[in-house]
Amino acid sequence: MLRFVVRRLMLLLPILIGLSILVFLWVRALPGDPAAALLGERATEESIAQVREQYGLDRPVYIQYLAYMRLVLRGDLGTSIKSRRPITEEISRRFPATVELAGAAMLFAVVVGIPLGFFSAKRHGGVFDNASLVGSLLGISIPIFFLALILKWLFAVELGLFPTIGRQSAEISIDHPTNFYVLDGIIALDPVATSDAIWHLVLPAIALGSIPLAIIARITRAAVLDVQNEDYVRTARAKGLASSIVDRRHVFRNAMLPVVTIIGLQAGLLLSGAILTETVFAIPGMGSWLAEAIEARDYPVLQGGILFVAIIFVLVNLVVDVSYALVDPRVRLS
Amino acid sequence: MSVAQLESEEIQLEATSGLWSDAWRRLIRNPAAIIGFVLVALFVFTALFAGVIAPYDPREQNLDLLEGSCCPGPSADHWFGVDDLGRDVFSRVVYGARFSLLIGVVSVTVGVTFGLLLGAMSGFFGGKTDTLVMRFMDIMLSIPGLLMAIGIAAMLGPGLLSIMIAIGVVNIPIFARLLRGSVLGQKGNDFVLAARAVGVPRRTILFSHILPNSISPLIVAATLALATAIIDAAGLGFLGLGPQDPSTPEWGTMLTGTVRYLQTAPFLAIIPGLAIVISVLGFNLIGDGLREALDPKLRGRT
Repeated sequence: MLRFVVRRLMLLLPILIGLSILVFLWVRALPGDPAAALLGERATEESIAQVREQYGLDRPVYIQYLAYMRLVLRGDLGTSIKSRRPITEEISRRFPATVELAGAAMLFAVVVGIPLGFFSAKRHGGVFDNASLVGSLLGISIPIFFLALILKWLFAVELGLFPTIGRQSAEISIDHPTNFYVLDGIIALDPVATSDAIWHLVLPAIALGSIPLAIIARITRAAVLDVQNEDYVRTARAKGLASSIVDRRHVFRNAMLPVVTIIGLQAGLLLSGAILTETVFAIPGMGSWLAEAIEARDYPVLQGGILFVAIIFVLVNLVVDVSYALVDPRVRLS
Repeated sequence: MSVAQLESEEIQLEATSGLWSDAWRRLIRNPAAIIGFVLVALFVFTALFAGVIAPYDPREQNLDLLEGSCCPGPSADHWFGVDDLGRDVFSRVVYGARFSLLIGVVSVTVGVTFGLLLGAMSGFFGGKTDTLVMRFMDIMLSIPGLLMAIGIAAMLGPGLLSIMIAIGVVNIPIFARLLRGSVLGQKGNDFVLAARAVGVPRRTILFSHILPNSISPLIVAATLALATAIIDAAGLGFLGLGPQDPSTPEWGTMLTGTVRYLQTAPFLAIIPGLAIVISVLGFNLIGDGLREALDPKLRGRT
């Protein structure tokens, strides 16, 4: 097992190096001069040259890359040109917001999707099954940002049940030691702040969770249908086991294998979707940050932010692979 | 008549129904796929005949219609109402079909072409080519799709062509992996070994034996990719990376400004959004239908 993990980690190395080069070159290929963007319209030739020198933009590209990687390996992703704050500091505030949102979305998708798929399969071909099939098809056909807009319009603007933007109401003032606002509320033993944070998460999480929900429901349904016809399930029923026990121990457990993989594979989808969801609900997370950085040509932010997101994404995939190997004895580790 | 003759005739009878006619028969008996065809036909028809269907010029502003308030809702003159610059929403949605169809088709073509090339090469030649190509695909896949599309579109500068290229490039590793897997699966098959044994050149084996047999999963994936491409294009448009001329009636771009008018004119968001959902749903329904129809495990059953 350990050897498997180490091997996989070694395989990650070339991917991460390639990725860092790709991101680095990409940022250089963006149109527009960051020094000019930073200084605005009143920039003079001299001040632009000064800024270029200050940020090392006048040196050859490969030297810039090596210098950058030396800093990255020391845990320094540089400073935002726009806000002038260290990027790692910005990430420590924004990444929790995105993880909280993605986590809430996944929770919604799993809690609703798995039972939905399971009962669809149990009543295969019935009204409930057909309704949930249609529903999940609609789920993957609705753009996230459109669903977000509709939810916002219906439940926040028209009915006033939920807040329209942000992560917490203006009147709440608690410390944020972790920047996971729900967790911070619990740490502060403040039920009002906790529920306020949860309240802000509901609509964005539903919008972001809709596609994973549809996918999880479909996969669960297909997996349960497959497993139900296996010999060991028939044997279990034939020997007179109560059907609830067969469902739980034999069908559900084995059907969960592909579902677990699919859940892991949603990480990239959630990060992509977070960019749009955060924009609609004005949530200060990684997605809205990167979208703003593109507009502002904030090179260091784009470089550091995307590199960070990609590393997280690669690691999540590794964890999925490893946990899959742990759950399924049929996966050979070599 | 000898037994052998009888048997060969029976086999002949069964063999007349090929994969495609078989799949087609299953497809047109699938009500969901039929609905998909209707929706896609509607979408394509609207895109092709936008000039005939739309009652107004989609870019023409008529601020007199606003009467100081945004925005007048659906009426007899303007079926889907008027937007914040006094443009007819119905005409804009109709013309928007053109852009979505164009973006979808071009970007999927880009993705399929390069993905097919890279995947087939990788699977067929194996060895160093395979390692090199697939490592590069892994790197591409390690950046979340929309983020990469945003990155490419930002690099090329906002615009229709950038969106098409961006979404196309994001699709390349998906098709490359699919093709590679498919080619690897075919390589060990008896008919490929037989062709090699009688000395058929490698290129001919790839193009006339392996690729034709990889085509059905490719068609399914391409149909579903069309659906995703339309959604992603709208997403890029929504984020402001769409056509540089903001008066272009692209569905995603149309949604961008509507956040401000959610209270007074929610139809401005709902109508282009529904247009996206309907066309995407159409491709998803066809894709699902095709997947079932082309599934070799289901062959023979109708």
